[in-house]
Amino acid sequence: MSLAMSDLTLALPELFLAGAAMLLLMLGVFRKEDSARVVLVLALLVLTVTLVLAYGVTPKTGRATSFGGLFLVDDFTRFAKVLVLVATAFTLAISRTWMEKEEIARFEYPVLVLFATLGMLMMISANDLMALYLGLETQSLALYVMAAYHRDNARSTESGLKYFVLGALASGLLLYGASLVYGFVGATNFETIAKALASHHAPQGLIIGLAFLVAGLAFKVAAVPFHMWTPDVYEGAPTPVTAFFAIGPKIAAFALLVRVLTGPFGPMVEAWQQLVVFLAAASMIVGAFAAIGQTNIKRLMAYSSIGHAGYALVGLAVGNREGISGLLLYLAIYLAMNLGTFGIILAMRVKGRAVEGISDLAGLARTSPMMALMLAVFMFSMAGIPPLAGFFGKLYVFLAAVNAGHIILALIGVLSSAVAAYYYLRIVKVMYFDEPAEALDRPIGPTLAVVLAGSLVFIVFFFLVPSPLVGGAEHAASVLFH
Amino acid sequence: MIIQGLVFYLFAALAIAGGVLVISAKNPVHSVLWLIVVFFNAAGLFLLQGAEFLAMVLVVVYVGAVAVLFLFVVMMLDINFVQLRQGFLHYLPSGALVGIVLLVELAVVLVGWAVSGEAPKSLAAPAPELAKMTNTEALGHILYTQYLYLFQASGVVLLIAMIGSILLTLRHRPGTRHQNISRQVDRHPKDTLEIRKVPSGGGI
Amino acid sequence: MASLFLELWQAYLWPLILIILKIVAIVVPLLVAVAYLTYAERKVIAAMQMRKGPNVVGPFGLLQPIADGFKLFLKETILPTASNKVVYLIAPMLTFFLALVAWAVIPFDEGIVLADINVGVLYLFAISSLGVYGIIMAGWASNSKYAFLGGLRSAAQMVSYEVSIGFVLISILLTVGSLNLSDVVMAQKKMWFILPHLPLFFIFLISGLAETNRSPFDLPEAEAELVAGYNVEYSAMPFALFFLGEYANMILMSAMTSILFLGGWLPPFNLAMLAWIPGPIWFALKIAFVLFIFLWVRATFPRYRYDQLMRLGWKVFLPFSLAWLVITAGVLQFTGLVPK
Repeated sequence: MSLAMSDLTLALPELFLAGAAMLLLMLGVFRKEDSARVVLVLALLVLTVTLVLAYGVTPKTGRATSFGGLFLVDDFTRFAKVLVLVATAFTLAISRTWMEKEEIARFEYPVLVLFATLGMLMMISANDLMALYLGLETQSLALYVMAAYHRDNARSTESGLKYFVLGALASGLLLYGASLVYGFVGATNFETIAKALASHHAPQGLIIGLAFLVAGLAFKVAAVPFHMWTPDVYEGAPTPVTAFFAIGPKIAAFALLVRVLTGPFGPMVEAWQQLVVFLAAASMIVGAFAAIGQTNIKRLMAYSSIGHAGYALVGLAVGNREGISGLLLYLAIYLAMNLGTFGIILAMRVKGRAVEGISDLAGLARTSPMMALMLAVFMFSMAGIPPLAGFFGKLYVFLAAVNAGHIILALIGVLSSAVAAYYYLRIVKVMYFDEPAEALDRPIGPTLAVVLAGSLVFIVFFFLVPSPLVGGAEHAASVLFH
Repeated sequence: MIIQGLVFYLFAALAIAGGVLVISAKNPVHSVLWLIVVFFNAAGLFLLQGAEFLAMVLVVVYVGAVAVLFLFVVMMLDINFVQLRQGFLHYLPSGALVGIVLLVELAVVLVGWAVSGEAPKSLAAPAPELAKMTNTEALGHILYTQYLYLFQASGVVLLIAMIGSILLTLRHRPGTRHQNISRQVDRHPKDTLEIRKVPSGGGI
Repeated sequence: MASLFLELWQAYLWPLILIILKIVAIVVPLLVAVAYLTYAERKVIAAMQMRKGPNVVGPFGLLQPIADGFKLFLKETILPTASNKVVYLIAPMLTFFLALVAWAVIPFDEGIVLADINVGVLYLFAISSLGVYGIIMAGWASNSKYAFLGGLRSAAQMVSYEVSIGFVLISILLTVGSLNLSDVVMAQKKMWFILPHLPLFFIFLISGLAETNRSPFDLPEAEAELVAGYNVEYSAMPFALFFLGEYANMILMSAMTSILFLGGWLPPFNLAMLAWIPGPIWFALKIAFVLFIFLWVRATFPRYRYDQLMRLGWKVFLPFSLAWLVITAGVLQFTGLVPK
């Protein structure tokens, strides 16, 4: 078996990203003064080119594998990769000002972001248990380092360590599951596993393996009961890193989870459906109730992300084409909402010092009405108030659940979003009706302003032209069920 | 054949005994030394299977490099082990429970595996014929063709680990003096030395 | 009953006795060589420093090593009270043992080798990477700060230089296409590897000095600052074992250098006249030559500072040997010289 040129063409975005990341690393090492800023700008450029490549690489038949079946490209991977790359590029862009103001801007940060992105792309394209694991490790290792990035800050190093230890445990579970699956099926390739499972009855041990596999992946999407790391890590990590964690890696992990469950374990849908239903319901409930008492906005966002993971998992629990397309759409809207919210959190500085208490937002409507308005819109959208985008995200997954007969799951979803609306709207109340705290620093910088405005426009006007995104999600989901 | 069996049980028993001693030894340096014993016996088991390359690499990498660094670190640590032990008993029940659950599952799986009879059929044959080439060649063959992607990806993972450890620990201390050998070599007497004729009794 | 015994004898006992005899045939000359290497060292350095060296015990001082050996054998073994006794005693044994077992795969002539295994080079590499344990265990178990510092220095030093030795080995293996040491020698029939891989020869030689903790890299036992380093607490036989192990390791390194770069047992130039001299003699001559370089270096160079030692290993040898590996692979590929 020799390496053909077509193998390399399919992996072009990944190859480019890996090569460029290494080049930027060298550039950062050898360039003395302004390496952090130059590398960051170049990294954004690299991400843009990768985005174009990822969008452009389309196999003629709609689906193709390379590197001996380890690497897969189809329209689902394309959709997920575009989402991940957009998320990474924007979160990287808005990180600059914050890092510079905190005086922790170093060139390694953009390089690590690029490597983490590489890991995410590898996860999305994985077509083999080994490729899955290596993609996941590439991403996770970069994330552990990024969490501890602010190394002179005790909370940041603590969060890095916690994430590392628990992440290693999750990797262990995943590997244990993968080895059980390999032991029973005798293959690690997704297609071979799917064929083997379709042709004869799955043995009991395989279900144990699958459960471990799902547990490992659930850790990565921070679904309850594998969510314990999220609040601490989100709170301790530097805010731009938290913003990055909340969006890109989550999308990639969801894409991987969807691929694994619908691809190789598609024939075992009854076995994993119960697991995912449980994960979804638990995540929605915990995400809604645990967030109520929070006073730190990053911690609040952590619980919020757990809740959102639950809503997205409803789409997977349905397990059909409609559910998955709802999940993809949910992820896209989640991207925009979180990007906007974290943009505001990044702008929360009082007298040059970063603050992250919800009380610091008090009276924001009077000190900076524009920011208050934007955050209010993002919060309304997160709570799922029509006609904002967040409402449609929930609508699609719940509709899919009802259509497939998962009435109880949809009911839990609706109820927990009603609970969640309480803490989202509490922020709005703090901003509009409380006595003003100290005013936040202005101006917030052009990059942040543009990103905020972009997310705002997307969220407000999504209902006018939903078809490109909805159509894309539906098409991407359809290739999973050919 | 009998000798081989005996040697297998010898290695296996020593490996397990070593493993138990790793976690039960009072002195952490002894733990690391027992760990080395475990590595050696694992290498011996590899040799028995005819995987001489893996055996040697295990010794080179784990015993020759990893365990040395472990030992290095452990020897420098100043930990109160009595205090550390107290936690051990405290966590023993929950730890044992998790261990037993995993063991039972593994047992269930193994029993199921032996009974099902399906798995051995679908097990793919080992890629290269072992009779045709040494296992060093066979490993190289499969790593650089079929698993090239994984091999390269592992390289990326290691690179990230390296960047991470440097990022989190390297500190440039201002004011330290570094040796610059090329500058030292480039220096000529005429740059630094000045020879003057000192008039006797005059001084400079 | 008798037939069973015969079978047992033929299948197990006789081969076992044969192997033991072979081992004795390797170990005894080796120990004699170690003894006379210490003598040679003192004589060579003395000559370079215009002294006489040992000349009292026996003719030309030839019995000096034996006298030294007896002295160490008869002295009392002292166990420091604060030491970790078991580890303290295992350390010198381990050093000595490792220095001997490595010889199992060294080919002395075509077919004359105790164990002709497929991964001989890796085996040697593995054994030499274990050498650090004797030192680090001795340093720790002595419970003395000088010994401990020596042990730490040596651990970092040996691990660092192993990396470049590894890359040198890989470059050689690429040119040979096998990990078997006899194959490595046979591949040098046309040309010794010292010619195409000259820079590697020097890197290997220097790394060998560092790996055996020899001057100018003898920081683990730097007398001036560590009063002999890791073996400061040792006396009598344990000390003698360290000493023997160190010198046996030097001979081993020289043997490896000869095999990898100087054509092992092959005579130079492939001439019939030179081929008349048996292979083991050539091999011994080459080992003696490399050993002479070891001694020569010791008499000539001052000791490295620790940061200079690390700089040389990581910033000079490692990049260079890596680049050389890439170049070797490229040249072999493009000239079509890749072995089979």
